[in-house]
Amino acid sequence: MLNKCQVMALQMPRRVDVHTNSPNLALERVKNVLWAVMGVWAVVTVARFANGLGATSALTDAVPWGFWIAFDVMAGVALAAGGFVIAAAVYIFGLNRYHQFTRPAILTALLGYLAVAVGLLYDLGLPWHIWHPMIMPQHHSVLFEVAMCVMLYLTVLSLEFSPAILEHPLFHRPFFQKLLHVIKKVTIPLVIAGIMLSCLHQSSLGSLFLIQPFRLHPLWYSPIMWILYLVSAIGLGLMMVTLESLLSAWLFGHPVRTDLLAGLGKMASFVLSVYVLLRVGDLWYRDKLLQALDGSWLAGLFLFEILFSAVVPATLLAFPRVRHSIAGLATCSTMVVLGIIGYRFDTCIIAFARPKDMPYFPTWIELAVSAGVVAGAVLVFIFFNENLRIIDHGETTAPSEYDAAKAKRAPYTFTPAMRRHSLCFVVAAAAAIGLLPREAIYGPEPRPTPVAHSRQVEALAIDREPPLRRAFHLSSMSGSVPASADADPVVVTMIDGNRNWRFVAFTHDAHAQALGGRESCRICHHQNMTFDQNTACYQCHRDMYEITDTFDHLLHVEKLGENGSCAVCHRTEDRAKSRESSLACWQCHGDMVVEGSMIQSTEAGLTGFAPGYMDAMHGLCIRCHENLSETQPEVYGTEFGRCDVCHREFKDTDHRRLAPYVPMPPGHVMLSNAEKTATQGSE
Amino acid sequence: MSAKVDNKHTFAILTDTTKCTGCEACVHACKQTYGLERDRAWRWKQNVDDLSSTRFTTITTRPGSHHVRRQCRHCLEPACVSACLVGALQKTPEGPVIYDEKRCMGCRYCMMACPYGIPRYKWESAVPVVRKCIMCHDRIKEGKQPACTEACPYGATIFGTREEMLTEAHRRIEAEPDKYYPHGSPKIYGEHDVGGTSVLYISDVNLDFLGWKPELGDEPVPALTWGALRKVPPVALGVAALMSGVYWMIGRRMHLQELQEDVEQVPGDGTSNASES
Repeated sequence: MLNKCQVMALQMPRRVDVHTNSPNLALERVKNVLWAVMGVWAVVTVARFANGLGATSALTDAVPWGFWIAFDVMAGVALAAGGFVIAAAVYIFGLNRYHQFTRPAILTALLGYLAVAVGLLYDLGLPWHIWHPMIMPQHHSVLFEVAMCVMLYLTVLSLEFSPAILEHPLFHRPFFQKLLHVIKKVTIPLVIAGIMLSCLHQSSLGSLFLIQPFRLHPLWYSPIMWILYLVSAIGLGLMMVTLESLLSAWLFGHPVRTDLLAGLGKMASFVLSVYVLLRVGDLWYRDKLLQALDGSWLAGLFLFEILFSAVVPATLLAFPRVRHSIAGLATCSTMVVLGIIGYRFDTCIIAFARPKDMPYFPTWIELAVSAGVVAGAVLVFIFFNENLRIIDHGETTAPSEYDAAKAKRAPYTFTPAMRRHSLCFVVAAAAAIGLLPREAIYGPEPRPTPVAHSRQVEALAIDREPPLRRAFHLSSMSGSVPASADADPVVVTMIDGNRNWRFVAFTHDAHAQALGGRESCRICHHQNMTFDQNTACYQCHRDMYEITDTFDHLLHVEKLGENGSCAVCHRTEDRAKSRESSLACWQCHGDMVVEGSMIQSTEAGLTGFAPGYMDAMHGLCIRCHENLSETQPEVYGTEFGRCDVCHREFKDTDHRRLAPYVPMPPGHVMLSNAEKTATQGSE
Repeated sequence: MSAKVDNKHTFAILTDTTKCTGCEACVHACKQTYGLERDRAWRWKQNVDDLSSTRFTTITTRPGSHHVRRQCRHCLEPACVSACLVGALQKTPEGPVIYDEKRCMGCRYCMMACPYGIPRYKWESAVPVVRKCIMCHDRIKEGKQPACTEACPYGATIFGTREEMLTEAHRRIEAEPDKYYPHGSPKIYGEHDVGGTSVLYISDVNLDFLGWKPELGDEPVPALTWGALRKVPPVALGVAALMSGVYWMIGRRMHLQELQEDVEQVPGDGTSNASES
């Protein structure tokens, strides 16, 4: 049963003391910082939900679980383990001397799990479906078990904590007092349910990774991961309660009960030793222990993690002198808290394999979301501490009578502290808006894929039946070409705009010949750069996939005479100065347009936008090929529009031989080269 | 979960990389069938030609001009299906593993679980969904074959019942055992890997790069978590019983101790609080 003093209510809210009588400077400073974090959080929240995960996080298909899962969920649940550990110690094992830790521990657990739930809303792609597991259960999923346990445990924690709220004078009405009585009656069943649910989901968070032995490093992957997760969570829970009471003693100015904390330290030392023995013993049993010494950086990380999180603090806490000193307790508990969070990060992100070229480092928005969730939880913790009886100071107060007049809220006034908090919130929010990356504001934008120029290579061509007509042997001019074959030496243009080695061998000369010699250039070459007659495709279609804006406004302003020159192009005074209302390019640059071209984007459509290189090439080639397969099937075959007429296998492509053909810096450096190519090609 | 595979009635795709020229007709057909947008170079794609939310199948070129078509393997016992906590991913009796975006909550555990790293996410969207090959489930039910196998001009990727495909694959590798990898005793990729898949490969190059690890083993992946998950009910009852037992025992011992103390020091009032707390 509960301590008698817990039934009693507080006479006056502590907040009054803090703000009027004895302003607590440390607490006020901490609150200012927390409110500032909340300001940033408000901004990133809008960005996250307005523009999605791609715009605000660093997550990729290779790293679908990032900082939010590792910290908000994995570490958050583990940090909240103190609630069930202390509840078990006090209510089940009868260790009543730790009773003063129960409420802070249960409150921490409640807020921790709420933070987990809120953090999860950010991570889920479709957070409004978060209730789906309840009506669409799939009981083969570990995550289903975790979800159900967390949901139920949140309910249990709310009930466990509800007496603290119902004791407040605001609830001194018969109905609430009856409710309080009922909840206190079921304390023990609630505690037992809480322990059961905690054991289940603390361990199941480890089971989540059992499905991926292929990606998780063998030093972390283990068939008993679920036991390791549970035991480490218990150790962490004890140390978190310790760290938290040290922190709140500092913030609220209570005396530190080192005698009690030493007891927790002793328990933690034991639990952490068990954790180390299990982890190392399991590795030894499965013959993986030597991998820890193989010198790789992950092996180093493993050694550091296990020393920092468990071995060193467990050893230190085994000495009574250390665990009875505030410095010793603070050091050890900090090490364990950081170390076990590190363990969660390692399994979730760091030791979880991903392609080498897809590194993951969270964006500051991800960090700000998590920081905001934590700050919110801490602010609620402080609020409850100021208004409810959370930490038992030993003094007992007489139960106050319910006074309806007193319980009515006083008219709201802004205290100086509130003004400071608001200022911090607003300033931080403004700073965050300023720092938001472009994508977080306007939505994700594709990255540029600059197009590189095509290149001419020698090849041997062997005749084949339609629709392929010819096979090309690119580099091995001798050898693998069948001796019987009648091979023609030809020059082909390798078209590989994004330099991914998946090129098309384009026979420029053969195409020109088939289309009518020199007069046929205009059929495909539909437009030139200004003051140019041999513009290659890539010079305007500069991005592989995205539309390129080929019009340089700044250059025109400069050349035409700065501010006075607007009217040179923008001639309509009654319309806004836009691209549509100004002169078209060809009206000044007559040499840009090639008469008689197949491509229709000449005069009317000439507004300075060039489609992506791939779309342009496909648009140009496929239409003509399909026409030919319909009009001249006897020459070209009926399938001349098929993909592999152009995209085909190239025999004996020797990458080394084509070594000069490597990714080059994009842009106009290569212009002269390309001009040469274009001239050569047309002759 | 571990039902015997009915090879006669479940469908499969067999891809023979020796016949593939990398023309991407399959990719084009797939994109047409599902009305997929054009590929764009987003931050989360290191290679636009890779599998993505707009590309359910793609051709990966290996050194020496070997073209390998990648797509969902449609495992017989899929890790993603066992991982999904709302049943948004389902293994159909016809073979395809299909996805229902109305159920999905976007936890991306399927992406974490897949041994082949197949599911892709629509990261650019504020309402994102998982995207992957569904082996044209609707077309299969209509009696047609998937768009990709229909489009292949070289018969490099073919469709049929799993039994037919395995027979065909065995016929090919036995006819030319030195052509296929590993040379001499070729392997049918997907025949036994992770309990068998509905997308099979025979190849002249090593295809181990398709999985996250060279050797995925023949054990179905879901069995790994089910081993731990099946212990949940007994553990739950065990913990509850143990805690109740401990509570009762310790409570009784303290009660007895109090009685004893009361007997020993009758006028004591310092111990009366102990029973309250």
